[in-house]
Amino acid sequence: MMRNASVGIIANPASSRDIRRIVARGPATTTNDKINSLARLMEGLAATGVKRVVSMSDAGGIAQGLAAIAQKPSASHWPDLDFVDQEITHGPTDTISAVRSMRSQNVGAIVVLGGDGTNRLLLGETGGTPVASISTGTNNAFPRHDEPTVVGFAAGYVATGAIDSSTCTYRAKSLGVMDGTQVMGALVDVAIVDGDRIASGAVWDARSLREIFLCFAEADAVGLSSVGGHLRPTSREEPQGLHIRLDDSSPVRVTVPIAPGLVRELGIASVSTLEPQAEIRIESEAGVISVDGERSMRFVSGTEISVSLDTNGPLVLDVQRAMAEAANTTTTTKGEDTHG
Amino acid sequence: MGELDRLAMYTQMVRIRQYESRIMQEYHADKSPAWDIGAGLIPGEMHLAAGQEPAAVGVCAHLKKGDAITAPHRPHHFALAHGVDMNKMTAEIYGRTGGLCKGKGGHMHLFDPENHFSCSGIIAQGLPVACGQALAFQRKGTDNVAIAVTGEGAANQGAFHESLNLAAVWDLPVIFVIEDNDWAISVPKDASTAGASNADRAAGYGMPGVRVEDNDVEAMYEAAGAAIDRARAGDGPSLIEIHTLRLFGHFEGDAQAYRPELATVNERDPIPKYAATLQELGELTDDQIASIQADADAEVDAAIEFAKASPEPAPEDALLHVFA
Ligand SMILES: Cc1ncc(C[n+]2csc(CCOP(=O)(O)OP(=O)(O)O)c2C)c(N)n1
Ligand SMILES: [Mg+2]
Repeated sequence: MMRNASVGIIANPASSRDIRRIVARGPATTTNDKINSLARLMEGLAATGVKRVVSMSDAGGIAQGLAAIAQKPSASHWPDLDFVDQEITHGPTDTISAVRSMRSQNVGAIVVLGGDGTNRLLLGETGGTPVASISTGTNNAFPRHDEPTVVGFAAGYVATGAIDSSTCTYRAKSLGVMDGTQVMGALVDVAIVDGDRIASGAVWDARSLREIFLCFAEADAVGLSSVGGHLRPTSREEPQGLHIRLDDSSPVRVTVPIAPGLVRELGIASVSTLEPQAEIRIESEAGVISVDGERSMRFVSGTEISVSLDTNGPLVLDVQRAMAEAANTTTTTKGEDTHG
Repeated sequence: MGELDRLAMYTQMVRIRQYESRIMQEYHADKSPAWDIGAGLIPGEMHLAAGQEPAAVGVCAHLKKGDAITAPHRPHHFALAHGVDMNKMTAEIYGRTGGLCKGKGGHMHLFDPENHFSCSGIIAQGLPVACGQALAFQRKGTDNVAIAVTGEGAANQGAFHESLNLAAVWDLPVIFVIEDNDWAISVPKDASTAGASNADRAAGYGMPGVRVEDNDVEAMYEAAGAAIDRARAGDGPSLIEIHTLRLFGHFEGDAQAYRPELATVNERDPIPKYAATLQELGELTDDQIASIQADADAEVDAAIEFAKASPEPAPEDALLHVFA
């Protein structure tokens, strides 16, 4: 058992408030819901003997809310809670600088509260530190819908060394977008979209979609990866991904949940396996690139954009496997051995 | 939703900024002593909306004849973006008979029945009014919408919650627009508000709530367009909160000694940022920037001249057109 085991927390204050509340039927996860999730996480971490938690600071009320609960008598058994001393820019760099600080403090696991977009920011930053994700965003494929209390147990068991992380972690895949050099990465999907608008981020106009690249595609997914999920389910742990070309005039049709509560029929021109490291040139002359469901960058004609799949994403903590491992190794049990 | 016209949005933002900047100069030009808000050509308090142009421009780009707006004490940007006559509005601000209310309302009481525009110095007071307008549209069977604008500070007033509740119960075609500029006079939001976003509060009333970050006019345009389309179609109310920027003081004369982020205010100005985006897109040239600015200068100067040339109300008319 590791003494002084610590865990890091990344929580995105901005997730789950974008335009998909109106253009789809996106659910609301309020700031208070997020704070409550973290309080549940803390209970799980406390139960496994984690001594210290380092949380990201933010100006969106999450750190403040969690700190207020930590002061209460009912939280006296929690691990010590410290906040990363960081400049708050209200932007993605807040997450990245927090992760770097946590790693320099040798946290045993990092828990991320947010959607696909929040998890994406961890790309290339977490190295060998296991990452567990709690879903708060709108249409998440990357985080699974695990109860935060249980995520706390799983992360705590790994961070304290009670279970061996190699039994319950795997390397996520990632996608790289290149215009010569790598410009962006994604954990779930890269999509090529018509037009030149990026302001609202989210992709909800199905007719604007030209190509979708997927790290994985689960049959029960919502969002862009559901297109792959309905055509050719592809697991998180196999090395390949998917590449889909869309064409509204194609006779091959698929009806998918492109966002929560937003179901659209798409025409499919082709579906092919995406091999790791193969650089695929995109077909569109100009348009917008979306990463993990968010329109992020315009490109104009003359730019050569390619996408490739990598097998070097974050080390993901599989909560279900971690809990099974803990039970099988009697980590979860005190007193007499109940096995047998 | 109509076609996005970036140049028109940029032009409108520049026009509003020029207006607020010139009113600021005019307000202080002859205030003597400086602390006497009753002194000078523009009497009374003055709350300018420089920095908050994206809120007004993003919303008003979707409005049509008959749509209504209620604005709070910081109203000029919504008035101008909604088509209130600049001359009459300016004459009102100067307290002249050529003004919207014959000079008896001043800058916080701009009433324009033709454009269904009103505002009030009593914060959150416009929200129930907007619900009433929306109820009228609903009962008349038109597809008009009402826009209720308020600051994040005023969103802690009872009238805010009562209005969200009523709008949800009656499924009214109203869009609540919250301008979160971080400050209510000198009170920071986190000292007055439980919960970081009013989009969360919308969820409590079962209506969609969106928060637009970065004072982004196009993101505001898209969110407002979706909310307005939804309301016109009969799908009920929505709330949009924009994280915006108060570029000037709360009121003219506010030294803002309480404001730790004052040093970075100019870097966060949304207008140069939007100009840069349009230039990158090849939709705005240096010549256009200059000519849009020159047009705004001329229009605002003419409105100020119009106001100054308009007569002051006669003492014997003091009891006309007022009630108490
Ligand atoms: C009912 C009422 N209470 C108090 C005031 C005094 N007052 C004027 S503006 C203001 C703060 C408003 O803050 P916010 O709603 O954030 O709008 P902002 O000034 O930032 O645009 C207050 C308290 C008022 N006008 N009306
Ligand atoms: Mg305010």
